[in-house]
Amino acid sequence: MKRSSLKPEQSPARRLTWKKLGQVIIYAVCSFLFIFVTLQVSSRLAAKDDKRPQEKTEAEKIESEKTKAQKRNVETKGIIEKITLEEEVKQIPWTRSQISPLHRVPLMDEFNEQIVPAAPSAWPLSTRYSCAPCHEYETISQGLHFNLKKRPAVDRPSEPWVLVDDKTGVQLPISYANFPGLWKPDQIGLSDWQLVSLFGRNLNGGGPGEPGEKEVTADSRWSVSGRLEINCFGCHNGSPLQDHSEWVKQVMRENFRWAATAASGLGEVKGMASRLPSTWDIIDGPNPDDHEWAVVPEVKYDQTLFDSQNNALLNLNYQPDDSRCLACHSVTARKAETKAAVERDVHALAGLKCVDCHRNDLSHQMVRGFQGEKTAIPGIKQDSLTCAGCHLGEKPEKGGEGYAGFLGAPRPAHRGIPKVHFERLACTVCHSGLMPEKEPQEIYTSRANRLGIFGKANWTADYPLIIEPVFVREEDNKIYPERMMWPAFWAEKKGKELSPVAAQTVLEISPGIFEVKETVASLLNCLYPLAEEGFDPAVLISNFLFEPNVDGSLDVHRVKLNKKADEGKFLLMQKKGSEVKLLLTAFNPDEATAEMEDRILNVLNALKLQKPAKEPVLAVGKVIYRLEEGYLQKEEIEQKELKEGKEGEAVLPAPGWLEDNTVRPLFDDFWLKTLVELGDSGELLTEEQITLGLKRLSEANPAREFCYVASGQVFSLDKDGKLKAGQHPAARAVSWPLAHNVRPAQQALGKNSCTDCHSLNSKVFFGKIEAPGPLKTRVREERLSSDLMKTGSFFQWIFGLTFAVRPALKLVLAGCLLVIGLILAVVILRVTGKVSKIADEAAQKENRR
Amino acid sequence: MLFGIGSFLLIVALGLRLTFGRYLNHLKEDQKKLSAEALKGYFNWLGGWGKSYLKLSRWDKSLDYFISWGQKSYRSWTVWIFYALALSYLYLSLSGIFFAWFISRGLFGFPLLLHVACGGLFAVSLMAVLFLRARIYLPLSGGEGSKGAPEVAPDFYCLALNRYLPRIYFQAASFWLFVLAGFFLILSTLGSMLPYFNFPAQILFFNLHRWSAVISILAAMLALDVIIVKPGQAG
Repeated sequence: MKRSSLKPEQSPARRLTWKKLGQVIIYAVCSFLFIFVTLQVSSRLAAKDDKRPQEKTEAEKIESEKTKAQKRNVETKGIIEKITLEEEVKQIPWTRSQISPLHRVPLMDEFNEQIVPAAPSAWPLSTRYSCAPCHEYETISQGLHFNLKKRPAVDRPSEPWVLVDDKTGVQLPISYANFPGLWKPDQIGLSDWQLVSLFGRNLNGGGPGEPGEKEVTADSRWSVSGRLEINCFGCHNGSPLQDHSEWVKQVMRENFRWAATAASGLGEVKGMASRLPSTWDIIDGPNPDDHEWAVVPEVKYDQTLFDSQNNALLNLNYQPDDSRCLACHSVTARKAETKAAVERDVHALAGLKCVDCHRNDLSHQMVRGFQGEKTAIPGIKQDSLTCAGCHLGEKPEKGGEGYAGFLGAPRPAHRGIPKVHFERLACTVCHSGLMPEKEPQEIYTSRANRLGIFGKANWTADYPLIIEPVFVREEDNKIYPERMMWPAFWAEKKGKELSPVAAQTVLEISPGIFEVKETVASLLNCLYPLAEEGFDPAVLISNFLFEPNVDGSLDVHRVKLNKKADEGKFLLMQKKGSEVKLLLTAFNPDEATAEMEDRILNVLNALKLQKPAKEPVLAVGKVIYRLEEGYLQKEEIEQKELKEGKEGEAVLPAPGWLEDNTVRPLFDDFWLKTLVELGDSGELLTEEQITLGLKRLSEANPAREFCYVASGQVFSLDKDGKLKAGQHPAARAVSWPLAHNVRPAQQALGKNSCTDCHSLNSKVFFGKIEAPGPLKTRVREERLSSDLMKTGSFFQWIFGLTFAVRPALKLVLAGCLLVIGLILAVVILRVTGKVSKIADEAAQKENRR
Repeated sequence: MLFGIGSFLLIVALGLRLTFGRYLNHLKEDQKKLSAEALKGYFNWLGGWGKSYLKLSRWDKSLDYFISWGQKSYRSWTVWIFYALALSYLYLSLSGIFFAWFISRGLFGFPLLLHVACGGLFAVSLMAVLFLRARIYLPLSGGEGSKGAPEVAPDFYCLALNRYLPRIYFQAASFWLFVLAGFFLILSTLGSMLPYFNFPAQILFFNLHRWSAVISILAAMLALDVIIVKPGQAG
């Protein structure tokens, strides 16, 4: 059948021909290309548009605001004003020299008057006026370390401030940044004054240290302490006299305006603003009537550091030394017993300084150095200062031309590591932080645990408890090694929300419940007159020896006893180094020496001072020593529990309290129970204390509901008044990525083989994370690392299992590859032979012709 | 992106060509031409053919055919090697293509684990099949029609040249192409597992693996058409 007869209506023009088909294909290809190119271009443009507003950082916003303001001024005030404004920008242009000059400059006080170091009551220096003639103070004050309140929220989380109260078991992460789990200071009622008083030790001034007039709260004492100006010397002073500990001490004394002067070593500051009345002002000058207690802070400048024109000779570094950074940014594993055991960052060992990577310009917007950092810093390409920026440089990843990164950073080969690792893991996962162990390690950080402050007291605090490394999958779907802590605080339940209750409120409502260690320590301190020369009083409870420490609390030592200690009993001891003996030896009250009675009198007086409402006594058998109008009185008492010595026999004396004609032990049973339960565990509170605390809070506020948050749990009272645990988002862990210390490639995860991470007992995936906290409890949040990485523990277990058979799989694949390759080679040879045979035959045929 | 589009176009194009060839087999000699009428008829036929797979019975029939082809082509227990190859390859290709086309992250999780496990089975069974069948497709051998299979299949109709080409050429091409692609698939898998190759090499292996997989799928499709399914059948 012919086509025309089958479809008569189909004209020849509608027939499909090769030419038409070709045209259709060309149209299709062109259309496809057009759509493809359009989509590509539009998606790139959209990506750029998305990036722009995010990249517009705080610094840029401020800059643009400034420009706008300047424009407005110019428009309104005319061209002369414009010239004036340009002159006002106080920046000395860079001379293009790489050296920092010796600063021979006059120091100015906060009234912009030059300081005369020889003057008898010279005022402290003000960086705002001393540095400002050359370096724009306002610009610097927008920097990363100062502008805490307005820091761009696009940054990734960093270590928060942690509000700690050992007595009530509080460790609350605080930050101005807007990240989950972090409390903003105003949310918990912390004013600028309180924040600076609490954390000023590691603040570099500026920001909350220089509040505006509107931000000054009633509780503040700014007029006494002065503002905490930016401490330029804290980082840039190259003098060996620069002392971070001195800064901390001055801040703790509320000597804010004196702190920079004292810490720089330019002068010595004496006096404490914290002891001055709130009405005092710097213009009032020194108090001639008090040279001992409320001494007005005063500077005595070191005149050798000034020239004859009263100019200070300052060795200021453009690039601060690492020690300046480490004063606030040290991290040390708790198990490191000596400084010698602490590993250093591989970059520091290679000779790099912190600021080689963490660069900034006058804006002091520092490069933090993580991939995808959005804060734009004029003149600095942040991407070139990340791990990849330095170590990969400009050379394309897939090979080709290009130069290496900064300072000849070695280019990693990453042999045998599948590319998914580079897509899903931050470089720091394998290269930074402490080596993963079966459980994350507890660490100290400078800011949280007050490291690097030297003095008679031990400033290092055990709380907050922070652990590392914990591997967490973040919003960008990448896994990062992080430091983690669990918030602990008292809170009021307001609907579904928890609102922190101030530790002071809890303490006031619950007297005698929380300050157990402090109370016992203070009572032990009263017993000093009874101790021998060089010995300190201590108390043995169960198999723990408690002795008072300089912080007003107790140090605990576990001791081995020959027999089991009596429950609820204690023994007063005295300790000198490792030597421990009884504090009081048996004596016969009838034969007590005058010296002995004098010591007893001192002890009873001290105890009376501690507990004015109670009557302290020292019982020796049925005989008690008591105070009678300031004099020592000896009398007999009828009490069954008291052992009476036989006639003339020595009896072990025991201090105590006389209540209703009965001698009560020095230490309350609740205290003994609490101390034994806590022992040397490091925890601060028992469940019983929490129960009692919650009861007291409820009794004081019957209409309100309270709870205590710790170790990932919310503890509250059930109907029967028993403690119960629950969950709440506010109890969840808070974490922030870590970047240092960086380990060398030879110590990176995966160096040995894939099984460094992928194995059945992998420390990376199956490391157990148990929420540490101030409360001694068995109810804690427990998780596996793989849960935080959101990789699935079962999958990782199976995946780890495959690595047990992977060597066999590799052998099988290699064998198959060899055999198939050989057969293919034979075939190729045979085909080649066939082709050459055909060619020969064709040539012979040609020859025959 | 390039891989997704490229692999999609290649696979769809070959699929259309092979099914069109099957459709032409139903037509008389004088109708075996590329024309609007033939295309219309083809798409109708293709729709019906695709629709027929909505019925389970059709799947049963196809599976029976496949099993019986295996039993005819492979002696005794060696048929299990063929089944292992087919099953492992079916999972490998489906999981690979699905994740490459539809999941931006690519293959991951349990499907990846199974993919690796099937990869081992595929490598071993491919090697065994090569031992069993390579001589049939060596140059100068007669192909499935002459030695391996009892039935002699007609030659392959080439539309562009408007003439029949020896089917054995296509059988050999599909077989050796499949083997060659399999070789590179195994090579790239092994290479990425060994701790000797740096990151650019890993990228190379990754791309080699993906494109070898596409070539392998194309070869498998051709093999299905010219070796397994009878020329007269719709498949």
